[in-house]
Amino acid sequence: MTWRDEFQPRSGRSGFAFGGLALIGALALVAVGLLMGIYNEQAYRAQKTREVAVQAQILAASVTAALAFDDRKVALEYVEALGANPEVEAAGVYDTQGRLLAGHARPGAAPAPSTAAKGPTSRDDRYIVVTAPVRQGEAVMGSVYLRTVVEALPQRLARYAGVAVLLVMAALLVSVLGVGQMLLKRANARLEERAQALGDANNALQIHIQERERAEEALRQGQKMEAIGKLTGGLAHDFNNLLMVASGGLDILEKTEDPVKRQRFAGAVRQALDRGAELTSKLLAFSRRSPLKPEVVDLSTRIPDLSILLERSLREDITVELRLADDLWPVEVDSTQLEVTLLNIAVNARDAMPKGGSLTIVGNNQPDLAEGELIGDFVRLSIIDDGVGMAAEHVARAFEPFFTTKEVGRGTGLGLSQVYGFTRASGGDVQIESAPELGTVISLLLPRSAKSAPVKASVTVQPTASSNQGRVLLVEDDDNVALIVLEMLQALAYQPTRVESGAAALRILNQRSDFDIVFSDMVMPGGMGGMDLARVVSQKYPRLPVVLTTGFSEAATTAAKAGFRVLPKPYAIEALASELGAARQGV
Amino acid sequence: MKAAYLYKLVSFVDWPPGSLPPPGAPVNLCVVGDDPFGATLDQVAQNQQVNGRPLIVRRMATVSKSSGCHVLYITGSKRQSIASALQSVKGAPSLTITDGTEARGSVVQFVVREGRVRFTVDVTIAAQNGLTISAKLLSLALSVRDGPTS
Repeated sequence: MTWRDEFQPRSGRSGFAFGGLALIGALALVAVGLLMGIYNEQAYRAQKTREVAVQAQILAASVTAALAFDDRKVALEYVEALGANPEVEAAGVYDTQGRLLAGHARPGAAPAPSTAAKGPTSRDDRYIVVTAPVRQGEAVMGSVYLRTVVEALPQRLARYAGVAVLLVMAALLVSVLGVGQMLLKRANARLEERAQALGDANNALQIHIQERERAEEALRQGQKMEAIGKLTGGLAHDFNNLLMVASGGLDILEKTEDPVKRQRFAGAVRQALDRGAELTSKLLAFSRRSPLKPEVVDLSTRIPDLSILLERSLREDITVELRLADDLWPVEVDSTQLEVTLLNIAVNARDAMPKGGSLTIVGNNQPDLAEGELIGDFVRLSIIDDGVGMAAEHVARAFEPFFTTKEVGRGTGLGLSQVYGFTRASGGDVQIESAPELGTVISLLLPRSAKSAPVKASVTVQPTASSNQGRVLLVEDDDNVALIVLEMLQALAYQPTRVESGAAALRILNQRSDFDIVFSDMVMPGGMGGMDLARVVSQKYPRLPVVLTTGFSEAATTAAKAGFRVLPKPYAIEALASELGAARQGV
Repeated sequence: MKAAYLYKLVSFVDWPPGSLPPPGAPVNLCVVGDDPFGATLDQVAQNQQVNGRPLIVRRMATVSKSSGCHVLYITGSKRQSIASALQSVKGAPSLTITDGTEARGSVVQFVVREGRVRFTVDVTIAAQNGLTISAKLLSLALSVRDGPTS
């Protein structure tokens, strides 16, 4: 913000300039006022002097005869008559020799001089003194002397006081305005600096927040992976059983010709593989790195889904029981976090039941709850075990991060703190009740959501193997997978053609225009993957539907977000039939 | 003292136009009868001006209209009494001055009052002689006779 850097000092300078200008203006105002006062004073003096001179002339004219004929009495009368004027302090009449004929002075004032003054007028700060000759025709009879006091200083000041007060007020006003303006400018400049500093601080804070968000996301992911780690033992055991079933089943299929037996073992192998597929898909969905996103969740369907994972992660000597009310309200939470929460609690329960036991998940509605901060409708989800329980001091610290009762290497102490963080972030709370040897109840209180859970639209198209379903271009780099899929497509009455890469697919599409659908793997060696192929095809052949498939959950998510049909691996023949049929019908 | 007053009186009097000599020519102050002043009057009158004209002191035993006197101080003598002297210049544009209030018929009469020389003025006579007396002088007079002469 260079403009601001340039702008600031300029505004500061103009502020000072304005303040200085205002001060100079105020001083000028006072100076003009003083000059006017002095001028008025001078004019006043001049006018007074003229007035006194006129009075002296009148006196001179009046006493001409008295002076001519030495009539002291009459002269005195005239001189004393002047005493009626309060400004006249002393007056005198002098003959041609300059001798005082008649004099008068106000009590306390200096008398008129005994001999005639020389000059016609003389000035003293306090007095106006005027002398005037007495003439009759050309004959000079003598002179008169008149001394008046200038209006007393307090009176004069009083005369100017009103104007002076106004002047001072105006000057003050201008000064105050100027100084105020200056201060305002300075304050503005300072404010701007602070605003900038605040902006910088805010930016820094934003960066911190982003870093923290990234850290929190990493922590969540870590917590998820930790939960998966906890599951792994159970899952590996489970998979070994599944592999045992599949491998043993195939051995028996190879060795027996009995169709009933073959049928039974083929069914068992199929079941084991289905289960394996289900488990891996749950695991993949669970471990997916996803942003914290609250969504409306229907617990009565989500928890049974999750219990498949739970059962695998717990030992066989632990039974899981679900008791969920049919009309559970929907809640708005991040579903992955909810799963992590339940897994964390379940793993804790498992460790609390070293000799086996039961884990019960109870869900019910809690209308009009009013517990502390929790006010309104809530759904209560209680996870109950009959394990060893906890001492009261452990209960009190159970939700603290890094608090664990497990030995080093077995627990991180973050499990229940994740539970606490999740419920608080969702606007709910978690409660824990436990006593040694009596088991533990952990209750999640989640606020009811006003929205209803989305109903998953399931399109099922019955596989019809009867007639010709059309030509399929299969793009698959793995020969083994291609062999199986080609067989499945033929079983579904499609006419498949296989190519090994996206580039080969485009070449064949260039030559032949009789394909009805493209079914492509997503991750393939070479420059072009399934996504790129799908984009080119939808541009060049907009009427040709494309279905993608992959075992990578992230790739599947990306393609689904881009608006392409995705069939996740592994899939059964029914799912393949359904997806291809839906794609051809444009559903 | 009276000598000084004589010439001072002159400045308070206006003569009718044309009755005074042309500027530069002297104005005559005539002492008619016995002269009580002597050289004093001459000293006082010396270098004095009346309306831009020099003042000349003349002394004479008798007076007439043809004497050319503008200002007359009449003391009377054996040859011409005060009354006859006044009579002889009656109606002429001349300022007549006498001593004492008993001597009626002059424009100005000197009177001694409380040891000081004062004067009275007869405005009627002045008007008969065509003279105008300044109000300043009248204000100082002991008395002013104004009205028909008895």
